Amino acid sequence: MKTEPQKVKRAVTDYSGNRSVQTGFPSPATHYREPMIDLNKELSSSRDATFFVRVKGDSWKSHNILDKDVLIIDRAQMPKEGKLALVITEEGFDVQRINASKPIELWGMISYIIHKAV
Amino acid sequence: MIAMVDCNSFYASCEQVFRPDLKGRPVAVLSNNDGCIIAKNKEAKALTHIPYRDPLFKIKGLLAQNDVTLFSSNYTLYGDMSDRVMNVLREFSPAVEVYSIDESFVDLSGMTHLDLNAYGHKIKNTIVQHTGIPVGVGIAPTKVLAKLANRISKKVAHLDHVYVIDTEERRIEALNWAETKDIWGLGKKHVERLAHIGVFTAYAFTEVPLAWVRKEMTVVGERLWRELNGESCIPFETLPRKKKAIGTAKSFGKKLDNLPQIEEACAYYISEVSEVLRSQKCCCTQLRVYLTTNYHSTNDVQHADKTIVTLSVPTNDTFILIVEAKKALKRIYKPGFKYKKVGVDLLGLIPEEQVQGNLFMPEATGDKRLIKAFDAINNRYGKSTVSAGLSGTSKSNKEWELIKEERSPRYTTQWDSLLEIGKG
Repeated sequence: MKTEPQKVKRAVTDYSGNRSVQTGFPSPATHYREPMIDLNKELSSSRDATFFVRVKGDSWKSHNILDKDVLIIDRAQMPKEGKLALVITEEGFDVQRINASKPIELWGMISYIIHKAV
Repeated sequence: MIAMVDCNSFYASCEQVFRPDLKGRPVAVLSNNDGCIIAKNKEAKALTHIPYRDPLFKIKGLLAQNDVTLFSSNYTLYGDMSDRVMNVLREFSPAVEVYSIDESFVDLSGMTHLDLNAYGHKIKNTIVQHTGIPVGVGIAPTKVLAKLANRISKKVAHLDHVYVIDTEERRIEALNWAETKDIWGLGKKHVERLAHIGVFTAYAFTEVPLAWVRKEMTVVGERLWRELNGESCIPFETLPRKKKAIGTAKSFGKKLDNLPQIEEACAYYISEVSEVLRSQKCCCTQLRVYLTTNYHSTNDVQHADKTIVTLSVPTNDTFILIVEAKKALKRIYKPGFKYKKVGVDLLGLIPEEQVQGNLFMPEATGDKRLIKAFDAINNRYGKSTVSAGLSGTSKSNKEWELIKEERSPRYTTQWDSLLEIGKG
């Protein structure tokens, strides 16, 4: 059996200081700490290329995009066949799926759709 | 090598990112107060028959006829877009000197293995893809040459906004292309002086004996001369120089003649500048207040005055400074005039820890905790969430406030002002 050398995962240090330090018993979790989930990191590849766009109306219901939803646009993402994108047409902004055979003017790729629970 | 990256028509470009319908159409951005035009895109610049320097009210008809879209300045948006551009630049080099809101020097030394022309295109393409802002890139051995390369990259169409001066032939070609007035940092007087001795191109300037330059144009001219000759002598700075003064002065939305309103505006400006002062961990030792009527107006009687107050103990406390500014304003205010502008400058800045009290006042009075809470609230909930009572309470009452009729939404910083798409 071939054994692959294990990649050592480097611990990510959290210097932000918003973790409590115990004065009595040291926390048994000390060595298992991980940084909290950061939506900015999870939902886009680059903060500087991320824009938020608000949807008005139900024009894109077929794409599961509803009135008042917020689209996360990741301009750093490269277009990929079949993925949703915010594009510019003669009539203004539109949401379309990338289709290699159809040229578009891309504004940015849609990475997530935020829908407020009601 | 150094790259100078400069955003094309930056303010107009920021607006156009969110308004693709304006592509190919003239766009202009107005000054604070909507008084005149301060920035234009390429299409607006092409309308040379419009006297853009004139006050807005004089050219409004002409602008409408030519279908120019106007925007009030939206510095919140421009500041955010600028940060995005500069952050993307940092992916290309560890050393970026942000020179102004729309220009940066990028240190490319040590990147000798790269095809710099291709790298310049990569920088340009990445910035426009990530942020929507188009830029030009000039790459050269010195800052002044990089600035010149940048200029050429924009003016010579086939270069497509990237130009590299990496050989002696290219350097001479660039210098012959440029007039003396195109040289970065060369003042009008020097341009005229050089014209007197028959020097009109940048190349001819570099052929002038250094001794003459040093004598007639001081060390500033000498530095430009050396930089254009390929000798780097303007250092690369990544930290801003320590400021000696911070000030602000803006015209009122309408002319004011009563003291309380002017005091209100003055207090507001004090809170703006003292906040900057605190963020830089500095205190000021002096405060200058000035007041002027509209010197453009021919029918108004003119009055302008200024005064400097030396503080008994240096401070950065908004409340103390407002009290002092109010006293100063009383001294220079004369009733019966229509005032157009009040300005405040905080002078003699020193680091907070160097503040010394005096015998009667061991340290500046004022509550440090209050001012800390004040800054924390404004940082978290946005500018002017809380303000000193004197700087005006209800928005509608601020008659001195700037007119911003055509301001675009703050698309990138306010959750309730996002770009909207679709019909609903």
